[in-house]
Amino acid sequence: MKQGYKQVKRMTTAMRIMHWANAIGMIGAIATGLYIAHPYYQTFMADDAVDKYVMAWNRYGHFMVAIIFDITSVLIAYLYFFSRFEKPYKKLIPNAHNIAEFKAVLVNLLTLNRKKEFDSSHSDSFNTVYFTIFHLLLIWMLLTGLQMYVQGLESGISSIGAWWPWLLHLTTDWTIAVTGGTNMDVRMAHHTSMWLIICWVVFHVYYQVWRTIFWKEADIAIVVSGSKFVKDDTLN
Amino acid sequence: MSDKIETVKKLFTSKSSRVETNKGDTYYQDLFEKCEARLNEMRAQTPANRLDFSDLLEENGIDRREFMKWASATTAMLMLPPMFTPLVADAAVMMNRAPVVWLELQDCAGNSEALLRADGPKIDEIVLDIISLEFHETLMAPSGFQAEKQLDEAMEHFKGKYLLFVEGSIPMGMDGQYGTIGAAGETFHDHLLRCSENAAAVIAVGACATFGGVPAASPNPTGAVGVMDVVKNKPIINIPACPANPANMVGVVLHYVLTGQVPELDSLLRPKFAFGYRIHDNCERRAHFDAGEYVEEWGDKGAQNNFCLYKMGCKGPMTFNNCSIVRYNEAVNWPIGVGRGCIGCSEPDFWDKYAYERPMADAKIKAPTGGVEKTVDEFGLGMLTAAGIGIAIHAAASAVAGKRENSGESHE
Ligand code: HEM
Ligand code: SF4
Ligand code: SF4
Repeated sequence: MKQGYKQVKRMTTAMRIMHWANAIGMIGAIATGLYIAHPYYQTFMADDAVDKYVMAWNRYGHFMVAIIFDITSVLIAYLYFFSRFEKPYKKLIPNAHNIAEFKAVLVNLLTLNRKKEFDSSHSDSFNTVYFTIFHLLLIWMLLTGLQMYVQGLESGISSIGAWWPWLLHLTTDWTIAVTGGTNMDVRMAHHTSMWLIICWVVFHVYYQVWRTIFWKEADIAIVVSGSKFVKDDTLN
Repeated sequence: MSDKIETVKKLFTSKSSRVETNKGDTYYQDLFEKCEARLNEMRAQTPANRLDFSDLLEENGIDRREFMKWASATTAMLMLPPMFTPLVADAAVMMNRAPVVWLELQDCAGNSEALLRADGPKIDEIVLDIISLEFHETLMAPSGFQAEKQLDEAMEHFKGKYLLFVEGSIPMGMDGQYGTIGAAGETFHDHLLRCSENAAAVIAVGACATFGGVPAASPNPTGAVGVMDVVKNKPIINIPACPANPANMVGVVLHYVLTGQVPELDSLLRPKFAFGYRIHDNCERRAHFDAGEYVEEWGDKGAQNNFCLYKMGCKGPMTFNNCSIVRYNEAVNWPIGVGRGCIGCSEPDFWDKYAYERPMADAKIKAPTGGVEKTVDEFGLGMLTAAGIGIAIHAAASAVAGKRENSGESHE
């Protein structure tokens, strides 16, 4: 350990597993989603249609990823409120302290690290807001995706029971009205939101690397080992 | 405010396309008795129209057996149990007691065409032949004042009983002056309101009357809207598609004659018996979709082998209609059967949002701000590029600033 620094724990093992499940899942969702949108490679002609399921496998992959997202979303929502580690919702409440911290972190980013007037040992309110945007986008993908999915269950029955399409209609039919009134609008919204997520990811990766380089506190290690290093004032 | 609350309420209670096909024996027994009583009552009435169904069947060489086959298929289409078959057959015979007023507004007469079809009428069309068409501008002999008089008389005589069929959209722009009718220059809007006033129910047929259709396509110069946007406080049934399928028109009228009720509708007021099916789930090319076998361009090997039309812009996955099951023109064929994709003609805004003949991802779509047309991917890549440029500037600036700081430190 570098002299004068102490190690602080920032992510539990469970949180790191979820992070990487999401990251890998996202690559899968984008690759399969873009295939669904516009099948971009050809299947081999050698087999009968009934023997190869190229689109079906892509859709299957997309939905499996969706289920991973379903589960991590529920778990993360739970952790936001009940984590015994750090309860992120506390950083979302717009009280004076959080607003000030949000501003300070933003100023730090915009002044290219000239000013750093906040405690970077814990997850700050700027980061928490940024992650919350991601989770909201993910929930949005989930709802619009499940709306497209339930359109294929128009019989009202499913292999796991009638409650499933019923539940999907109850929770996702409103996305039709919100996106513009037709099934196609939901699809457009789903596709466009993918780009919002991609933009989110690009900035996210950049920002974490940037922090690592300029703060010199090994932030990038948080998602691997679970901890980072901060200057230990008690030692100085 | 109360408007907003209503919208939110509607949003969260909007009905799905789910059809309850088994409502239990007591329900059907009840309905059966009600229908029987209703048919008996109708039998006593003098037909509004002297055409006789049995004669017409005979003239067209259709025997009893064929007719009963049709009746049982229609019973199934209406999602009634088989015991209703004799009642459906009776109701078909008594269709000449169902007074119908047919309005044509901003339209192409395609639905009238479908109703009439050019040749070889089969049972669906014969049923439509004998409905008592009290008024239909395009089809009837009288014109001008005479026609208006006939309309007024029909509406007076069958007050509260006639079914009002509407074909075509209602232009609302310029105070409705885009479309007027009659010597007095009554606007389509006023005409529709006047005629729907005393109708038992209003049946909007075709894409235009239901959701505005082609006239309402962007930029919608005439401010066209569908019937349900202007007629309130009346039972409305939407039978969209371009044109509406005669089988579905018959279904709705039969259902009404038989039960005196409007069939179960979805959130877009479409009868579920017809619009509770998704094209994509009843398409003969579906195996090719799942296999990733697509027609890549018109006339290629894939097209010759009936591959899926998804990449040619088929919108079957987002479209609810039964044309993949009942088909068109006496069930001879349907669009995807002849090798072209579905353009979503039974969905709202289909011209702008479905009918661009390429996958959604490849279509130029108007941004919500209007103006620029881009594909979703071009739009997305634009966003990404903007984000990338922002990041690059920030990174470069940070690097420069960092270096300056470091050198500053070493000087100290
Ligand atoms: C989180 C849960 C998600 C669910 C339930 C879901 C579900 C779906 C469904 C049902 C479709 C339509 C498939 C079809 O019609 O056969 C679809 C398409 C698509 N999905 Fe997702 N999805 C999810 C997440 C994502 C994510 C995270 C991305 C990318 C970041 C994504 C990107 C796409 C794309 C690009 C399409 C194609 C849309 C088009 O036709 O242009 N999805 N998804
Ligand atoms: S042709 Fe259209 S409706 Fe048929 S399987 Fe392909 S995408 Fe679906
Ligand atoms: S295939 Fe599609 S566009 Fe063609 S008639 Fe049927 S619903 Fe309409």
